[in-house]
Amino acid sequence: MKILIYEDNKWISLTPISYLKPVFELRCGFTSILEKIMPVLPEGDVIIWVRDYLKDMCKEKFNYKVNEDDFLKDDVLIINGRWLINKEFKFNLDEEKLFTNNGEIIYGLLKKESVNKCWNGNIDEFLEILKNNLKKEETDFTLIKFPWDLVHYNSELIKFEFKKRNKRGIFGKFSDRASIYGSEEDIFIAPEAEIYPFVVIDTSEGPVYIDKGVKVFPFSVIIGPSYIGEKTQIMPGAKIREGNSFGPICRIGGEVEESIFHSYSNKYHDGFIGHSYIGEFVNLGALTTNSDLKNDYSNVSVYLNGKPVDTGELKVGSFIGDHTKTSIGTFFNTGTIAGIMCNITADNILPKYFPSFVWFVNGKFMKGYGVDYSIKTAKIAMERRNRNLLPSEEYAIRKVYEMTESERKTYIEKSRKILK
Amino acid sequence: MNENEIIEKVKKVISEVLGVDKDKIGLEDRFVEDLGAESVQSLELVAAFEEEFNIEIDEEKALEVKTVGKAVEFIKENLAK
Repeated sequence: MKILIYEDNKWISLTPISYLKPVFELRCGFTSILEKIMPVLPEGDVIIWVRDYLKDMCKEKFNYKVNEDDFLKDDVLIINGRWLINKEFKFNLDEEKLFTNNGEIIYGLLKKESVNKCWNGNIDEFLEILKNNLKKEETDFTLIKFPWDLVHYNSELIKFEFKKRNKRGIFGKFSDRASIYGSEEDIFIAPEAEIYPFVVIDTSEGPVYIDKGVKVFPFSVIIGPSYIGEKTQIMPGAKIREGNSFGPICRIGGEVEESIFHSYSNKYHDGFIGHSYIGEFVNLGALTTNSDLKNDYSNVSVYLNGKPVDTGELKVGSFIGDHTKTSIGTFFNTGTIAGIMCNITADNILPKYFPSFVWFVNGKFMKGYGVDYSIKTAKIAMERRNRNLLPSEEYAIRKVYEMTESERKTYIEKSRKILK
Repeated sequence: MNENEIIEKVKKVISEVLGVDKDKIGLEDRFVEDLGAESVQSLELVAAFEEEFNIEIDEEKALEVKTVGKAVEFIKENLAK
């Protein structure tokens, strides 16, 4: 059997955090979406299907076939790359059928004959044809549709994955002057992690999982449920409130609540980040803060791809694309979207939407120094963390630059007109 | 637009963006070292030149413009296009 894990055209609703990675590489709980799918798969050859400009990057990053239609030769298990596995489950592969949520495919077993009949080389058209022709069963499985969904499910995922991993105890260095408040059964501290004196880990409301090589510096508090990824550092005096997931090699200080930091990102200093998803290699300057609740307690709306969307949520923070940087004292409005590779400097009331690659200076959108300059800066930032920018990653960055050019120009022109 | 008019307009823009006395701006002046431009102000200068002269400036090439005189030449070339 072949197994096809795909991203469909809904990846655009997960921008800006999906611009430089396939949707199944986004994180929630302990791991990425894909890392939750892989362990539950039946035997079979895995093929992943991504948007064209990420194809080469995925070939380099994953050990699977990418965008190859070998699956035509066999029965196929198709799996939506936005499916967040947040409960125990077993594939039902008894018959040819699609399992859906609100009409969108979650997974389905297809017979070779159906695949050959319906495949025309376009994944989205293929999915539509399948939906119109095959038997369907509606389920309550979870599909990620918007960036804030990942934040919404994060606490529950941490609790679920802590239980599932079933690892408990302290295997790293734990100062005898650090404390645990709550059950010691709800804590895991991996080998090579180091918890300094006067750290408090509070498991009274949920588990805390501290991965390999993490350092938690003095006077910090970590409240569960929280997951701290490999080699991340929690800076002195940090308040890591409930519901946080930090991917590997982040540096986190200040106050953070119900947020996901993808990996390699820095929020070194004081300032509050809540209900947010922060991409890779993001640097938040000292005191960068976001609002995540409106004063009138109404639903937060977010400008997604430049258009307002009601999130249906009361608490929504910021969604910040890879390699974006903020200056000291940047205060983000409730429900802000900042694209990739932006440079945002402080101003009184910031806009809620920053197109990718813009520089926001003295209250005005500017075009910055161009894509080559942004790539050069990204290379420097990555080399500082022993990572190289792959040519395929550079290609993806250039594609996003092209794709976002028109909206960037519109914002720059508007900003000039307003300020004239 | 003749060269003197370009120079006058360039000086006016620099004076407004960087807050320096227009009469004290010389063609040999370097934006960073002599006129005190911060990196983000150079972006504001590019935007202001684009508005003032109704031209589009290539961001990468703008990085190479280090003096007032070079900015005048650069704008002259752009206007001639």
